[in-house]
Amino acid sequence: MSNRPTVGIVGADGASSGDTHTLPAVFSSPIRPDIVQTVHSGMAKNKRQPYAVSEKAGEQTSAESWGTGRAVARIPRVSGGGTHRAGQAAFGNMCRAGRMFAPTKVWRKWHQKVNQNQKRFAVASAIAASSVPALLLARGHRIATVPEVPLVVASSAVKGLVKTQAAVTLLKSVGAGPDVVKAQKSRKLRAGKGKLRGRRYKLRRGPLVVYSPETDGKELVRAFRNIPGVETSPVTALNLLQLAPGGHLGRFIIWTSDAFKALDDIYGSTTEASSYKKDFLLPTNVVSNADITRLINSSEIQSVLKEPKGYATTKRTGVQKKNPLKNRQVLLRLNPYAAQYSKDKVGQTGVEHKKPEPLGEDFKKVLHEN
Amino acid sequence: MSQPTNVSDDLLWQVVRSNNAYLIKRKTGGGAYFSRDPFNLLNKHSRTHAGFVNSKAVSVQPSGEKGVSFSTKKEGKSNTPAKSLNTHKFKSGRSNQKVYKAISDNVGQKSYRSDLNLYAIQRASAVLDSQRAKADAPEKKTRGAKARKTQA
Amino acid sequence: MVSAKKHVAIVKKHPKKWHRHQSDTFMCVPSAWRKPKGIDNRVRRRFKGQMVMPSVCRVQVERANEWVQGRRATLCTIWEEAEPNLIGFGSNKKTRHMMPSGHKAFLVNNPRDVELLLMHNRTYAAEIAHAVSSRKRVDIVAKAKALGVKVTNPRARVTTKA
Repeated sequence: MSNRPTVGIVGADGASSGDTHTLPAVFSSPIRPDIVQTVHSGMAKNKRQPYAVSEKAGEQTSAESWGTGRAVARIPRVSGGGTHRAGQAAFGNMCRAGRMFAPTKVWRKWHQKVNQNQKRFAVASAIAASSVPALLLARGHRIATVPEVPLVVASSAVKGLVKTQAAVTLLKSVGAGPDVVKAQKSRKLRAGKGKLRGRRYKLRRGPLVVYSPETDGKELVRAFRNIPGVETSPVTALNLLQLAPGGHLGRFIIWTSDAFKALDDIYGSTTEASSYKKDFLLPTNVVSNADITRLINSSEIQSVLKEPKGYATTKRTGVQKKNPLKNRQVLLRLNPYAAQYSKDKVGQTGVEHKKPEPLGEDFKKVLHEN
Repeated sequence: MSQPTNVSDDLLWQVVRSNNAYLIKRKTGGGAYFSRDPFNLLNKHSRTHAGFVNSKAVSVQPSGEKGVSFSTKKEGKSNTPAKSLNTHKFKSGRSNQKVYKAISDNVGQKSYRSDLNLYAIQRASAVLDSQRAKADAPEKKTRGAKARKTQA
Repeated sequence: MVSAKKHVAIVKKHPKKWHRHQSDTFMCVPSAWRKPKGIDNRVRRRFKGQMVMPSVCRVQVERANEWVQGRRATLCTIWEEAEPNLIGFGSNKKTRHMMPSGHKAFLVNNPRDVELLLMHNRTYAAEIAHAVSSRKRVDIVAKAKALGVKVTNPRARVTTKA
């Protein structure tokens, strides 16, 4: 990648600071929603806590089956007498107060191992997707006022940011205001029991602020953390769950310039291994140019293509046969005279019958001879 | 920044066609698919009309109580969203025919998206029509047994 | 209100409801259709004079009966000869899901949903979802009127029954 495009760096006021930076190689990674989705669904499982019904639930009676011959089902029945419970069916999943079918166990396989290389691939793909405005729009981000995608804000604007008020002003000035407002207004009461379990509200995700912890400092985390929907992440520990929430590509990311510059170092390139990740090379694109329309229409391809087989008038095989007696157009194609026939009403004219000529005298004479 | 080589409109459509923020799916009426995308002239979920994916697309929206706003996407400017649109607002006083002519000049004549020319004019017409005050539907006449009942 | 686009006539091949076999005889057999599965079932075997199953068209049944009576040679020729548009009771693709007015129903929850139908008011009609309050229904109906979109249930909840 010799001539990579450059990205402008935006100042604190939202105007261009005049500085630019070449686009890190990670942004040229292949966009692979299939890989991102599978990795995401694996990773999303890794924060789960075990749950199960009680081991004893539905099994706390000494029920025994009555066997055959009592004209009742052979299900175990509670022994004894003197109470309604005696003689009732027990244990089975179909019984009242019985245990459930296949009681859940705490030793279910809750977590899923995801291959590290796949995780790295998915992260690279998600980062690349974050630079495509169409994918940000498809995720629902409001980016109409954003000066540039990927959005890089000068680290000087972020440095020493401790107050949330200042953080909100910064977001607004760099054009991320509408997305924050959208997240803020989307807060709705969660449906179901999650309300009682510390997950009372649901809200949309806003922008993700990615910073460089070494140079930008970590104060900005506190500045941003109370803004609804806005998340922060150090560039050294980007997480797929934040880069592609729900497995959908195209998170709106606000990079600090130091974080953006660090990307080349962290992810390396397709030929040079990254200095942070052992033996990791960026995935390469299977097709070097994803624009298939342009490829097909290119002179290189068009010049070697064969002539098309047949034209609009060529008879196509394998099409439905039409009955020429019912379909007039087909009839006309087969019999060019059909039009004239019907015009002349050939089929409707009757055969002319003349009166038979009277038989001559000679005929009678011959007939009655001898 | 120009579009990098790892993405193209065709690829993006494949990524977003199954699910995106604009897509509306309904199970009634045989499973209707619509799109809320402002750059979709027919609100139809399809490759041709998905404006947010195409590098060239046309938007016709009502602006205020009366009038139409017309925008097109600048080609190659998608990475700068704030500066990616050409927008023009037609004021209410302008005659409809002139509005259609102006839209047609920009969409069809300049061969921007000639395939969308007709749809752009149709949409502008529909939007302008929706801004006119509509007469109330006449009262339904009662007929038959009911009418006789009320007369008596 | 804009009328629907011109379309071929809507033909319902079986306008009546499908009732489950013997649901008229036994209280404990509800009328919801279930395909008979019994080895001797006369409906399953398409005997003459029995009720028709949704999976097969009357024309096919009649021809099958003819075949049973030995007037036809083989079953395969019967299937081949059956008119292609008469197989089963499905509607013509062009009129499937169509209401008598010629529109298809599209469920709306708010005025924003109605806007989707701006360019489709001759093929789709808005149907207000059941949980929408009467106050919001008024907005939806007003929006639909402005856009020339037909609403299938404009009076529900808004007017009370006298």
